[in-house]
Amino acid sequence: MEFKVALGPQHPALHEPISLRMTLEGEIIRDADLKLGYNHRGIEKLAESRTFIQNLYLTERICGICSFSHQTCYTQGVEKLMELVPARRGLYIRTLICELERVHSHLLWLGVAGQEAGFESFFMYTWRDREVVMDILDWITGNRVHYSMNTFGGVRRDIDELQKKKILDTLGLLKTRTEYYLNIGASEPTFANRLAGVGKLSKEKAIALCAVGPTLRASGVPMDVRKDDPYAVYDEIPFEVATADSCDVLGRAVVRVKELLESYKIIEFLLKNLPEGPFKVKAPRKVKENEVYSRYEAPRGENVHYIKSNGSDKPERLKVRAPTLANYAATIAMLKNGFIADIPLIFAAIDPCICCAERLVQLDNPRSGESKVLSFSQLRAMANDRYKKINFKKKDSAWPF
Amino acid sequence: MNAETIVEKINSAIRDKIQEIALTAPRRVQLKVAREQLNAVLTYLKEQFGFTHVGTISGVDLGENFEVVYHMSNDIATVNVRILTPRSEPKIPSICAVIPGAILYERELQDMFGLVVENIPDPRPLLLADDWPAGQYPLRKDWHYERPAEIIPGGE
Repeated sequence: MEFKVALGPQHPALHEPISLRMTLEGEIIRDADLKLGYNHRGIEKLAESRTFIQNLYLTERICGICSFSHQTCYTQGVEKLMELVPARRGLYIRTLICELERVHSHLLWLGVAGQEAGFESFFMYTWRDREVVMDILDWITGNRVHYSMNTFGGVRRDIDELQKKKILDTLGLLKTRTEYYLNIGASEPTFANRLAGVGKLSKEKAIALCAVGPTLRASGVPMDVRKDDPYAVYDEIPFEVATADSCDVLGRAVVRVKELLESYKIIEFLLKNLPEGPFKVKAPRKVKENEVYSRYEAPRGENVHYIKSNGSDKPERLKVRAPTLANYAATIAMLKNGFIADIPLIFAAIDPCICCAERLVQLDNPRSGESKVLSFSQLRAMANDRYKKINFKKKDSAWPF
Repeated sequence: MNAETIVEKINSAIRDKIQEIALTAPRRVQLKVAREQLNAVLTYLKEQFGFTHVGTISGVDLGENFEVVYHMSNDIATVNVRILTPRSEPKIPSICAVIPGAILYERELQDMFGLVVENIPDPRPLLLADDWPAGQYPLRKDWHYERPAEIIPGGE
């Protein structure tokens, strides 16, 4: 017998609520369907009536975690339209904040993965460390979430020697703690076992469904915009693209931990090679008629802005595609033939800009229409209960480090 | 291989299927095709150069025409394939047979511009509300939002 289960759609605190409708056979998901647009804000329409400068602060507000990704993607696009060469020191500082943002976003994700897997002390540890990065960002930009650091031609604030020294000192702490997390995975086999084999997405499917970011890289495709289409100063920085071949949630965790360690290296390189000179150059107000396709590797994957100008001080069209949208098609493929208890984990694994699974309606008896509402915490408890019953010694998944 | 060789190869192999081709910036190829040739060109790009990833599909309202741009990426370049479709008959072919991951972007185009995507596997609305009035396409240039008059319960 088949059941229909609705997950979502709304959570007032989140900016991207979606609704998932699933067809179940027992505990196995046979089909899944998405409905988006519960909080569509019309930013693309609004951007057409704002000047390029005003849109800097509008695009930043697309996302609350990767705000700098959207702003940088937009800024570097408009700089190309203006035929403006940004100040080199400005580009270094911009890249530094990009990487700091990646660090705080990945630490946030690790915590969420730990929580969904029922490993809540891991969640508290990573979020404690995330505060360290947030404090650095607060200290060098003045803000914790919307940094407002970008401007056409560079950045708005310089960083001084004291700030440089403090960031380098803190990096040591973050590195030690991230390495400790690697060992946690090795010494805590239940964590690796809970993540292994969940949310399978084959390499062919990931490519066909145009997945992006860690989701794609965990399926063994080394696509990273920072390498394929270098922006800012990434063509000067030595770093490696992290990939995994396990095609599951464990692989996605591995990719993110590896990326954290790469990010620390990048930050260290940037600070040690920070060039002297001005941190911004003057930009024109009007933009010639042209168009640009700007790509950016956000923490969640490839972020895309398509900007068309018409010769005035306002854009003709601004098209934004955030990485989460690109991963939805792949998420449906991951959910199919998975367990209902794995929904929170699979959904969290694409690091969506949502935690909309606030409530779950379970139709106990479709004929009489009697229904039962489960809260998200109850659902998670159900998932944890289920996995407590499994004999993990039989499964024996190895932590890959 | 780099973007220049891609342009050369497209020019020599499928000259009859494309209208314009240009290399406008490093790693950016602009390609204009007729809408009937879209799927043939995308298949060629996918098979010859591995352009399997569609970044997004951008619609632009040009007045008499709609411009639809397919941003195709591989690991060395991005090809912006554009087609034009008249406002009087806004039809575009679906590319889902070639690139299955394009489905959400095509549904978004149908919602926002009122384009009709032919042979789309799933034509349901994606982003607009369930009670959105028919025939209203928000990203068209002639569509303007008017805030409904505020009604205070109980008068005043």
